[in-house]
Amino acid sequence: MKPIDPRVHQALDREIAREGLPPELALQVARLEAAAAVLGTAVSQWAGGSVEARVMAAIRRPAPSRMWRLARWLAAPHSVTLRIRPAWSLALAAAVALVTLLPAGDETPSVGEQEGIAQFVARFPGANSVHVAGSFNDWRSGTIPLRDADHDGVWRAAVVLPAGAYEYMFVVDGERWVPDHLADRTVEDDFGRENSVVIVRPAAR
Amino acid sequence: MEVRGDPSDADVVARVLSGDHEAFGLLIRRYEAGLLRFATRMLGDRDVAADAVAESFIRAYRHLASCREPARLRTWLYRIVANRCKSYLARRRMADVPLDDAPPVADPTDNEAALERAEQLALVERALARLASEKREAFLLKHVEGLSYQEMAAVTGERIPTLKMRVHRAREALLQALEEQA
Amino acid sequence: MRLWFGLALLTGPLAAQSVRVRLEGRVPAAAMAIVDSLVQQATQEDLPTEPLVQKALEGGAKHVSAGRIVAAVQLRLVQMRDARTLLVRAGHGPFTAAEVMAVSGTLKRGVPGPVVERLVVALPNESRGSALHAEADLVAHGFDPDSSAGLLVEATRRSLRGGRLLDVSAAVLHALQRGHTRPEALALVRLQLPNVPPAPKPPKASVAGARRPGASSGATPQP
Repeated sequence: MKPIDPRVHQALDREIAREGLPPELALQVARLEAAAAVLGTAVSQWAGGSVEARVMAAIRRPAPSRMWRLARWLAAPHSVTLRIRPAWSLALAAAVALVTLLPAGDETPSVGEQEGIAQFVARFPGANSVHVAGSFNDWRSGTIPLRDADHDGVWRAAVVLPAGAYEYMFVVDGERWVPDHLADRTVEDDFGRENSVVIVRPAAR
Repeated sequence: MEVRGDPSDADVVARVLSGDHEAFGLLIRRYEAGLLRFATRMLGDRDVAADAVAESFIRAYRHLASCREPARLRTWLYRIVANRCKSYLARRRMADVPLDDAPPVADPTDNEAALERAEQLALVERALARLASEKREAFLLKHVEGLSYQEMAAVTGERIPTLKMRVHRAREALLQALEEQA
Repeated sequence: MRLWFGLALLTGPLAAQSVRVRLEGRVPAAAMAIVDSLVQQATQEDLPTEPLVQKALEGGAKHVSAGRIVAAVQLRLVQMRDARTLLVRAGHGPFTAAEVMAVSGTLKRGVPGPVVERLVVALPNESRGSALHAEADLVAHGFDPDSSAGLLVEATRRSLRGGRLLDVSAAVLHALQRGHTRPEALALVRLQLPNVPPAPKPPKASVAGARRPGASSGATPQP
């Protein structure tokens, strides 16, 4: 990068008058000031609504109820500091190590280089069971269950699959075949309905 | 921008903090254009900039009581927006890449003069986008938003000599880029 | 030569038997023979057989009649022949089963043949599958096929490859959702190239406990 004459900086910082500058330096000052002037033109507002309207709408929205705030606080992760005696800390560390070494059901699996994880989420309040069936499991309707761990009607499953595109549907209560309404890719199943499509990308990307 | 006869920023802040939420709209109208312009030039995207500025105002409203010097509200607001832009750029890695040479989206009300202005703006924006983000920020705050070095120090948390150096380097880089593109 | 011939004798009947084993009890008996012969046909034509097997299994799982299963499997075979014809016309060869399946899937999702052909010709091998999916995503949302293909080709010229092309279509759809018109959305993302935001990775908590399916997988693998 070519350094410019210090007098250009001084003129731009209003430390010296530009009238006394040699023509080539005056041109540099003018060029930079013109660039700043162009950048100083107003930016037109977003088509979706003015900043003021969006902000005032957020400000006017009623504050969430105490119960809602409590529920949100309970659901959010918080750091907790424990203060324990050194002797007890050794025993606690040993207990934690033991628990960690025991096989756990919910570990993150090791995923191969050409594999990824497909996440399935669906809302079926009142359902007794929800499974996903598709071209990744020969369309078997009972082998990959979704779970509704907190009984809020939202069912979830994560499946390790080779990278690729798969067609699938949900099977509710063992008999009702339902497309994934949250999926943004669909394709005709040639049986009069639509399958959802998921694309699994390699996890190592 | 405050006009003589308008309530001062400190007065408006006091009104909002005493319960007059609607008064916050006065602050938005006063500073929206400058903050939007700054964020747009920093991020290179008008709509993302509008999101950043709206979120910044909402954050400012919620933390208004923590603005220690309401008389320097403008600096405080620029600080919030500058930090939001920094986070966005760090996530999106758009800092040092030139804009593609794509034509602007057609505006049905364009006439020749407006088209020429748009082309000039595109030229300067391309040159600006080639600057590293901290130099771009320094140039915009100094020469477009008109902040003093003291105000820039309050916005960025950097020392004045550091800011002066960034502005100098930004001028050099911008001049070189403009001369190359001319 | 004799060894290869012997192997072919062994693998042919074995492969056919494995298809029958997979379909047995899952596909109506009335459809079994015809589906089996369609699979044999595909094998002889050097076309992928897995999509045919999957379609039959799907029909059986959904308790569809034998006649409709046969019709669907026949249609699938025709679609793969069309895909192979397109690949040959594009002057592209030799091509893999995965590429036939990717092209077939894209045609099925409504992308016009000439546009698919353009993408096949213009794009490097490792990006074709992702580009075809990205194109199909945009067309499904009402974007002009040619303009969408143009953006994806431009993206590969700006060194985006593979799954990053799906990030390009995602960015365009995001712009559409935020209120831009379709031409504006395409222009906006073109301006961002190559710095289109990457897809966010899922948080660890949401993928803890992820399992592998027990049965054989019938993916359209990424070519």
